[in-house]
Parts: sequence; structure tokens; C-alpha cells
Amino acid sequence: MKNPKSEIHGSESSDKLKRESDSTRPAGPLSQTRDSEPERRQRLEQILDQARKELSDDIRQKKEGKQALARYSERIDELIRRIYSSAQVQIRTPIAVLALGGYGRQQLCPYSDVDLLVLFDGNIGRAEEKFLKSFLHPLWDLRLDLGHHVREIEDFQHLERDNPEFVLALLDARLVAGDTALFDRFHQLFHVSNPHWYRQILDLLLHLIDQRHARFNNTFYQLEPDVKEAPGALRDLAAGRWIQFLAFANMEAAADARSIVTLRNEDRVEQAEDFLLRIRAILHQENRRNQNVLSHDLQEKAAEILGYPGIAAHQRVETFMSDYFRHARVVSRFLDSARKAARPKRKEAKPVPLGQNLESFHDQIRFRDLEKAASQPTSWLPAFRVAVEENCPVSEEALLLIQQNLDRYSADDFFPTKVEREMLLDFLRPRPGIYARLSEMHDCGLLGQMFPEFQPIYCRVIRDFYHKYTVDEHTLLTIRNLERLCEPTNPSRERFSSILKELESPQLLVMALLFHDVGKWKEENHAEESVRMAQKAFQRLRLPLPSTQKVEFLIKNHLQLSLVAFRRDTEDPDVVRKFATLIGTEENLKMLCLMTLVDIEAVSPDTLTPWKEELLWQLYVDTYNQLTLAYGDEVIEKDSSLAEILAGRPNDLTETEISTFLEGFPRRYLKLVDRESIYQHVRLSRNIHPHQVHLSLEKKDAIWELSVVTLDKPYLLSNIFGVLAYFGMDILRGQAMTSLSGLVLDIFQFTDHEKFFKLNPGGIAQFGDLLQDVVAGRVDLSSLLRGKESSLLYRKMRKRVPTFISFDNQHSPRYTIMEIITQDALGLLYRISRVISRHGCDIHLVLISTEGNKAIDVFHITGKDGKLSESSEAHLKADLEQMLEGAHEINQEHRPS
Amino acid sequence: MKLIKSIVRPNKVDDIKDALAKLNISGMTVTEVRGHGRQKGHTAIYRGKEYTVSLLPKMEIEIVVPDDIVDEVIKAVMGAARTGEIGDGRVFVIPVDYGYNIRTGEKDIV
Repeated sequence: MKNPKSEIHGSESSDKLKRESDSTRPAGPLSQTRDSEPERRQRLEQILDQARKELSDDIRQKKEGKQALARYSERIDELIRRIYSSAQVQIRTPIAVLALGGYGRQQLCPYSDVDLLVLFDGNIGRAEEKFLKSFLHPLWDLRLDLGHHVREIEDFQHLERDNPEFVLALLDARLVAGDTALFDRFHQLFHVSNPHWYRQILDLLLHLIDQRHARFNNTFYQLEPDVKEAPGALRDLAAGRWIQFLAFANMEAAADARSIVTLRNEDRVEQAEDFLLRIRAILHQENRRNQNVLSHDLQEKAAEILGYPGIAAHQRVETFMSDYFRHARVVSRFLDSARKAARPKRKEAKPVPLGQNLESFHDQIRFRDLEKAASQPTSWLPAFRVAVEENCPVSEEALLLIQQNLDRYSADDFFPTKVEREMLLDFLRPRPGIYARLSEMHDCGLLGQMFPEFQPIYCRVIRDFYHKYTVDEHTLLTIRNLERLCEPTNPSRERFSSILKELESPQLLVMALLFHDVGKWKEENHAEESVRMAQKAFQRLRLPLPSTQKVEFLIKNHLQLSLVAFRRDTEDPDVVRKFATLIGTEENLKMLCLMTLVDIEAVSPDTLTPWKEELLWQLYVDTYNQLTLAYGDEVIEKDSSLAEILAGRPNDLTETEISTFLEGFPRRYLKLVDRESIYQHVRLSRNIHPHQVHLSLEKKDAIWELSVVTLDKPYLLSNIFGVLAYFGMDILRGQAMTSLSGLVLDIFQFTDHEKFFKLNPGGIAQFGDLLQDVVAGRVDLSSLLRGKESSLLYRKMRKRVPTFISFDNQHSPRYTIMEIITQDALGLLYRISRVISRHGCDIHLVLISTEGNKAIDVFHITGKDGKLSESSEAHLKADLEQMLEGAHEINQEHRPS
Repeated sequence: MKLIKSIVRPNKVDDIKDALAKLNISGMTVTEVRGHGRQKGHTAIYRGKEYTVSLLPKMEIEIVVPDDIVDEVIKAVMGAARTGEIGDGRVFVIPVDYGYNIRTGEKDIV
């Protein structure tokens, strides 16, 4: 190849080669007649053996792989020149012997194919054939794997497009023996006379790369990599350089792009090349043939030869393979960069400004002012965020700038204020492009600088037959798998996709994935170590306590769901009950289910089978049903969790007060709220009278949380729902619970779309007063709501959600569980609860959730005689369906008597 | 020789492996399979909607053993796999003429 760094095909080079060629030419055929044929062969074998031994010593003595192979290539050059000289027969046709491909690059490994081109300046006749025989036979006798091509110079009037490998090998052509002038003519024809050939060769090359990568599933993460052919291996390295050469050799305008690719990678690329060449030489020596697969056995051998530290073989191999993947990643990114830079550009494109100091140019995000960007590390994350939004990569130029300036800043410098910290959480929302951008951040070193916790797993290898990827890549792949769930292509993934869409804080799941394996440098209990390490990052990010607890829960338990699904008897209700107790809430379950799915899928392409997927889903459904349908029977008992609450109580509360309050509440209450909220609820319950309502209203970000404590009475729940509806509040989630003593505790999260509280300074008091009046029966809520419903403002046309009503008398021994899925609407819960009350049913527990315009509500109810009979269920269902499907107006609702 | 093919609950594989290890049997092939016998799947309800799981996930364990320990092996497998509920699985015994060790080329005849 005409190396972009050192031109070897100029006149100066030719002169040098000519001198070398002349000096190695023996005196003539007569001088060769002194040795007999066997003696000559023996001498050649000695030279070859000596060259191989020299190479072996060089590699074992840890000399640079590239230099060692260059020396070995020179020995083979000498050998070929000897044979060439002895094969000289009396022909007039000038001949040139050219080294091609890896041999041309002077990277010949001990048992590599020796690719040669024998070039004739004229027709190939009988004399030329005789020469070929006398030249090639000794080479074959040496059992060299010869890849020889024979051409006349006139053949190079045309490009052999049907032989792309040969064409590419010609890029590295180097004169070994013969006529220098003929070589110069070849160079003229191939490189100068036909400038359009480069574009054609580039197309051939890109096609070959795609074909080759497809054979390896397009990943350089191979358990037993082929150090020549695999992505990220030697052929990719050569391809990257070929692309640079072919795309930019004659284009001065592209010099900037080339320099960026070179600057960003060249040092690391050189190191990677050296490493890979050494490995390949070792493989050849150990196998005694052209075998380039770094098998498990040979990984141990190579690690030993290269002197990797470690007491046990697996430790040496893990360190060695970590180095392999580190270099393979460099090569892979180098090739990507070269391909990106070589892509044809639209000349007419102009930069499009995108926020502060950012712009889009040629479908890449870059900084407008590089100097300014270098001094503002807080401007780096926005580049990646904008790139996700614009669905395009960050430019090589920007990545180079970040890479070169990283060391100037510490982790805290990236998130100095709340603005940057909130931006990070926003950036981590799962959506298309997040994996690619995080990978860019990781490659340029930004991820490790922002989160030093990530560094111990950089290119870390777990050596078994199960993990295909390094720990850092596995981590990023979990996020890619989650991203793919946003737009699933596989029908079986749609069910998991729907769970993702329901998450309250999906960015916390990405955060948990990012840190779930950072403790994997430790051989045991990596989940606990990951939590310990992640805590430091969360402190720096000042992540709110509930979010921190959620993420820590996910990291700590990220193996639990697969453990139960695959290794426990999930048909045993006790197993599911215990698992549900560990999980606590539906949100935790949804997040852990998705985390498990994407985590298993990121182990290797074949790990997540439909079989495993089904087991995960079944456990998810069973646990979900346990959490939502059977939770009424799991009441708080005198156990360790109650003891903790009692022990940590503030001075103004007594143990009896707390125990009495909690008696009969479902166990999930303790999972839903933090301890301070429990104490606050106990205070709210003090000295309460039948017509009183004690409430607290608190705003958490954009969501309001209402806690209501009162004594149970008819139509209570529907009245609370009605008041919320009257003020235009959109209930997102809610829990309604009743204790054994008839104390009702309702907790609702809602949004105030109409900004009633913000626009009305006395709005909160007004809300509380109306609630008191309605519960006490002083105000007729139906008439208030009738007026509201008739307002045009509330007649919003929404996509209809079909109504499903189902009854379950099995999950709970105490309650009939009614699940309603229907179109969300103003006052929906008010109307539903009134129908239930009208049927003489008591509502003991309610679970409310809203997903977009779909309302999913679970009611635990009883009739006069306990659970509902089939006929009672049928009547209730019919009335509810009639109300939900036919009458959305409040004024069609029956009034309470 | 006999090929003992067992279809068992996924969570029972470790127990079966332990039981077989006590008989000094360590070689086996374990495959994830799906199917149903008399159990014929089941119906689950998720958010009010019924869905049927007609093909249940099971594990298939294949072991080849000499004739004289077949009964002992079957007893060990069944003991470890049994819960007493529908869906515990099946054990099939199939005659094997002979086998070869690929690495050494040796023929196994017992």
C-alpha cells in the first residue's frame, strides 16, 4: 500500500529499492552452480528456520511486534531475492517481483501466505514460463504458503474489479526483486494514470468490510476472536488506512477530516497494531500454521508468553483479553471514524445553530467555538443530548476536543449546578440514539471522567463460556436493549415495551443499568459492591433520596428476578408471595423485570431465549397479580419492619399510637411511603371525628400528593374523587386503604393541569374546605360537577379505550377484586365509586393508575355477606358498563339518596 | 446402554444434577424446551385480560448410562424432580447401540 505516512513509491524510493535490488542480485547463474540442488535447498531452509527463530525470540523478548515482523519480512525478502537470482534464465523480458498485502506492508507472520506478484514487461511466452517454474518451485519446496499472481504490465490498463482482494492487495505492493523501472510503470498505471480507480476500489473495499463483519455478527466482541479477520482486528486496521488513503490521497480539501481521524487515533492505533501483530505471530508459532483464532487454550498460552501478571491462569487471561478488547475497540472506532470522514459530503450544506455553542453540520453535532468548548466542560453533555434529539452523531472534531481536554476536569466539574444534574437525568431517558451517544462518550473517555466508578470495568473481561462482551460494553448494551424496547420489532417484546411506557421515571432505570455492574471488578457479591460504588456517584449528583433508594434497590436486586424465574418453583404461591414482598411495589417490579430482560440479552446474542423470556413474563404477571390483587390480605404484622418504625419514632408519637394506626393496613403501605410520611399520617389521624377530614397536600416536582385521613363512611371515596375532579385535578396514581378500626387513609398523586393552586393563592385552603363540606354532607357535589361537565372545556375528544371489567374471587380470601380498564375521563373514579356504593358494596382498598388516557383501577370490595356472588358481580358489571360506555355525563349519574 | 431423556420443571435441574452426581454421573445434555402434557398449559390474567400459556417452559435432560444402573438413575431423577403436582414431567428410556468419543475415536460399548 502507498502508506499515507511514508510515500515509498516516489522516484526517491524507487532509486533506493533499485540499489537494494541490485546489491542483492548474485553475480550470475555460474555462481549458483557450486552448490548441488539439495544443498541449495538445505541452505534456504536454514535461512527460513533462522528467520522464524529470530522472530520467535523477538516476540518472547517483548520487542515491538511491528519491528519484529518487519525484520522477518526482510529475511523473507532476502530469501526471495536469492531464489529470484538463481532462477534467472536468459530472457530479455524485464521482470519485477512484488510483495503484496500484509507481506507488502512488511507484516508477514511466520506462516502467513506470502503474496507475490510476478510482473512481466511483455508477453508471457515459453521462456517466461520456464522462469516462473524455476522461481516458484523452490518457494513451494520450502512449504511456504504462496499466494502468487502472474501478470503482464499491460493487464494494468484495466482494474480487475471482479477480483477485489487482489486489487486491495496491490495497494500495498512493494518491489522485492527485479526491474525497478517496471515497478515504476506499474505504480504509474495503478496510482497516477487512473485517478478514478480509487473511488471504485473504495467501494469494493467498503463492500468487503460489510461482508466480513457480517460473518462475525458485526461485533468485535468474540469469545475466541480471529485476530486477522474479526471486526477490530488486523484487517480492519489495514482497511481503515486504505480508506484514509483512497478517500483523501488526492483531496486537499479533505485534509482536515483526515487529520482529525489520525490525531484522535494514531497513537492508540499504532499500539493496537503492534499488539495484534504480536498475538498473530504467537498464534502462528504455536499452531505451526496460518491459524489466527485466539482460542481459549491459546489465550492462556499467549498470556503466559507475553508475561501477563496473575497467580491463576484465568487472571492472566482476563487481563490479557481485556487488553485485546481495548485494542480491538480502538481499531474498530478507527475504522468507523475513517468511514465517517470518507463519506461524501454535501457541498451546499451550511451549519445550523442548535443552542449555545452547538451546531449541526453535515448531519453531525459540533461546537461552534472550540476554544470556548474546551474551557466549558458543562457544554459537553449538551452536545450528546442534542445529538440524541437530532438523531445524528457527535462530530469527530468535537470528540477529539473532549478527549484532549478531559484530564483538566474532575467529575464534579461536569455537574456543578442543578441545571446540569437535571440535564443528565433528562439525557438518560431511554429513547432511540441513547446507546450510540453513550458509546461515543465512553470511547472519548467522557463517561469514565464523569463517573470514575465506571473506570474499573473498562474493557474488563469475565472469562467464561457465557459472557461474550466486556463488562463496560455489556453495560452499554443493556441500555441499547432497553432503547430497542421503545420501538420493538419483535411482537413478543411488545408486552415489555408497554411496561417501559408505563414507568414513572424510566431515566432511573437507565441510571441503574449504567451502574449495575461497576462492582464487577470484585469476584464476589458484585451487586453489593456496585451499590457501594454507585452511592458515591449519586451523592455527587445529589440525586433525591427516593430516587437514590429506587436505583440502589434495582442494582442490589438485579439478579433476583432471574434467580426466582429460572431456579425456583414459581408455581408455588409461597415463592411468588415472598418475591412480591421483596419487590414491594408495581413500579419496582416493572423496572426490575425490564432490567432483567435487557441484562440477560446483553450477555450474548443467544442468551435470552424465548424460553427464558416466557419464564420472566410469567413471573412478572404472577408477581404483579400478587402485588395488585392479593395485597389486601398481606396486612402489617408485628415484625421487624414494624419494630424499625417504632424504634425510629419521633418524640411526639407513642408506640401505641403508631401500632393502633397501622393495625389492619396492607403491608404494601410500608413500601409505598417513607418513614417520615408514616409519622405524618399518624399525626393526621389524631383526634379525628366522624365528619372531619384531615389532609396534607405536598408538591413533589410537577406532581401533587394528597394524603387524606378520615373515618369510613358511605360514599366517602367517591366524594374525594369528586372534589379532585371538580378542581380539574388529573389523578395519576392512588391508594385507598382502610384499617381494622375503620380509619381510612387515601394517598393520591395528581397533576394540576389548570394550575388552579398556582393561580389562586387561597386555592389549597379552598380545596380543603370543600372536601370537608362534601364529606360532612353540607355541599351537594353532583350539582357542582354537573356544571363543570357541561363546560366545553371538558368535552375533549380522546382516543377511546375499550372497557374491560373483570372480577377475581380467588386471589384474596376476604375480598372480591374488581379490575376496571377504561377510557380516562373527568370524574371517572367518582362515577365508578358511586355505582359500587349504590350496589351496597364497601370499598376497602383501591389501586389507581393512569397510563396516558387509559385508567387501570383495582377495587377490593365486599357486599353485605362478604365476597360478591356471581349474580351480584354480573349486575354490578352491567351497571358499570352502561355508565362507562354510554353515559359520560355527570348529570346522567344517579344521585345518592 | 440407555438414553434417559427427562422432561422436568426448570427449577429442578440443579436438584437432578446433584442427585446424579451422587451416582457419579456428571455428563449430561440440558436443553430448554417448551411443551405440554396433560397439564396443557394454563390461563393467566394480566390486567383483566386473559392470556393462555399453552406451551410451558421445561428442561430436557439427556444422559446415556450403562444398562445396569438405569433403574438407579431413573429413581434419582424422579426423586429429585417430583413435587406431586401436575406438570412434574416425564422420563423416557431409549436403547442406545453404541457411541463414540470424538476426541479419542474410542467406541463406547457397555
